[in-house]
Amino acid sequence: MDVEAKRIMAVSIGKLYSLRTQRGGLRLHRSLLLSMTMRAARDIYHTAQLLRDAEEEQVVPCAPDAATEEPMEISKDSPQTLTPKEVAVKPQETLEEDKENRCASERHSRKRRGKTAVEPDFLPLKKAKMDTDEEKQHLQGEVLRTNNGNSCRQAETLSAFPTNRAIVAC
Amino acid sequence: MDEEIDTRKINNSFLRDHNYATEVQPVQTLDYIDSIKAFFFSDNGQLRSFTQPEPPLMRRQEAFNRTADIISTVEFNSTGELLATGDKGGRVVVFQREQESKNQPHRRGEYNVYSTFQSHEPEFDYLKSLEIEEKINKIRWLPQQNAAYFLLSTNDKTVKLWKISERDKRPEGYNLKDEEGRIRDPTTITALRVPVLRPMDLMVEATPRRIFSNAHTYHINSISVNSDYETYMSTDDLRINLWNLEITNRSFNIVDIKPANMEELTEVITAAEFHPNQCNTFVYSSSKGSIRLCDMRTSALCDNHSKLFEEPEDPSNRSFFSEIISSISDVKFSHSGRYLMTRDYLTVKVWDINMESKPLETYQVHDYLRSKLCSLYENDCIFDKFECVWNGTDSVLMTGSYNNFFRMFDRNTKRDVTLEASRENSKPRAILKPRKVCVGGKRRKDEISVDSLDFSKKILHTAWHPNENIIAVAATNNLYIFQDKVN
Repeated sequence: MDVEAKRIMAVSIGKLYSLRTQRGGLRLHRSLLLSMTMRAARDIYHTAQLLRDAEEEQVVPCAPDAATEEPMEISKDSPQTLTPKEVAVKPQETLEEDKENRCASERHSRKRRGKTAVEPDFLPLKKAKMDTDEEKQHLQGEVLRTNNGNSCRQAETLSAFPTNRAIVAC
Repeated sequence: MDEEIDTRKINNSFLRDHNYATEVQPVQTLDYIDSIKAFFFSDNGQLRSFTQPEPPLMRRQEAFNRTADIISTVEFNSTGELLATGDKGGRVVVFQREQESKNQPHRRGEYNVYSTFQSHEPEFDYLKSLEIEEKINKIRWLPQQNAAYFLLSTNDKTVKLWKISERDKRPEGYNLKDEEGRIRDPTTITALRVPVLRPMDLMVEATPRRIFSNAHTYHINSISVNSDYETYMSTDDLRINLWNLEITNRSFNIVDIKPANMEELTEVITAAEFHPNQCNTFVYSSSKGSIRLCDMRTSALCDNHSKLFEEPEDPSNRSFFSEIISSISDVKFSHSGRYLMTRDYLTVKVWDINMESKPLETYQVHDYLRSKLCSLYENDCIFDKFECVWNGTDSVLMTGSYNNFFRMFDRNTKRDVTLEASRENSKPRAILKPRKVCVGGKRRKDEISVDSLDFSKKILHTAWHPNENIIAVAATNNLYIFQDKVN
């Protein structure tokens, strides 16, 4: 169920991104529906994730430096075998690519903040650097935050995991 | 007569080469008019078969399937004499029904091209760095008041009033200019004469009479002419504006659902229509599956509805995509004004305007897609906006589906039929065979399985003649006109 949710999230993000480059400008109706679906998928995914964490009795750290994108947590769960990692890696790759793309597009469309803020928290928000400290304080205890809102640096945080590095490299 | 039919070639000069056109596939296509066929029409529980006279000879031409030719709207005028189509390239093509001749009483009037013109051009909004598509979203005819025909056509941002008129006489015998229009040398003029009107070849010209622009921030999805024949409304995602047909520099905002904080946006307006008889009443549908009926006499800004039509969601059907499939893509008043018809992704519903709690009737268009929503989400088909239409007597509903199928529902007999608009199985004088989709298990010989449906062939736009059983069905870039025959 959460694999499905994650896939829907990835697809939604991809679609939201491609909407920005479409002829005719941002389609409000479609962006709204996509955001809603993505949020629904994210909520399901969240719940499933929390349930799984609770089952494995792994405490999710509250400190900001442990706050990474949600999908990366799957790969961080060390007791997991390689198989679930591989499963998680593919949609994660899409998510990463999409996030990198989104990162770029958000730089472009800062004026559209209103709509972008509808998207889920774990996506990087292109706020100015000086806001990040505020952000971090505000989000203390929240599981999902990116590192400095700069997702392009994902590769470095994943360096400990060779499988992921291989994917990021190509 | 044949020359008239092949208008696409003649009018190529209207068309630009869009560098950003999407992929082009070489496919043999027909002109806009395809052959005229027959369809099954259920009447009093009996299936009557209908046939058609031979269609006029048409020239097939090798043509590339251009996205600019995709038909985006179809509309009959109030008498059914004219049929207008708009396409993605901003063109409008108007067909006229030929007069029934006494020599061939069995030959019913067929539709031929009457006029073609470029209604909208692609534009660029410099302030927002946005392209404005030239695709015609809607066409609505005005009731005829003189010899000329008037229609409103709209793209995402601008509504235009077009006048289509015939010219079959020309003044000749001017004093100051010769027949070619060149100014005559005054010294050669020795006598005065009065110009006379002489007959000429029929020319149909379309001229833009009004341009209603700069009133919409968001994309216009509907226009509707009021029964007072003086005003009309244009609807975008968040606002509805009321215009006077004569005045282009001013419009009144009558509905505004834009929240103060755009982050709190939860629903948008998807369609709106005026009541056919009451000039103060209109309805608008939302992406959440609700329809609001408003009375303009209550207040200037009709944010508060008079009636709210909403059906509580069935919790057993809840999925990731519930929001999307409950979004209403079209709303239409019945001709009587007593009923409303709405189309969402999987169903057509008929509402009694006196009952808000639930629809009167619900018809499943293609419920077999309910288990395929995830794939339809991935290929974007779940966002397709199907339209729906009433027949002239409000007894039959029609809407489109995939694989070039379209469905008709008879409200009285509760029978429904699935028909296909395609060249392969439409021969002249042929009767359209009802189609069936096999939902699982054993597939019968003539049935088609859900997985073999072609989702790129969708029928989003259809129209029904106001008085007779003539329907126009737009299948991507082909227009099919079907008539019934009276035995």
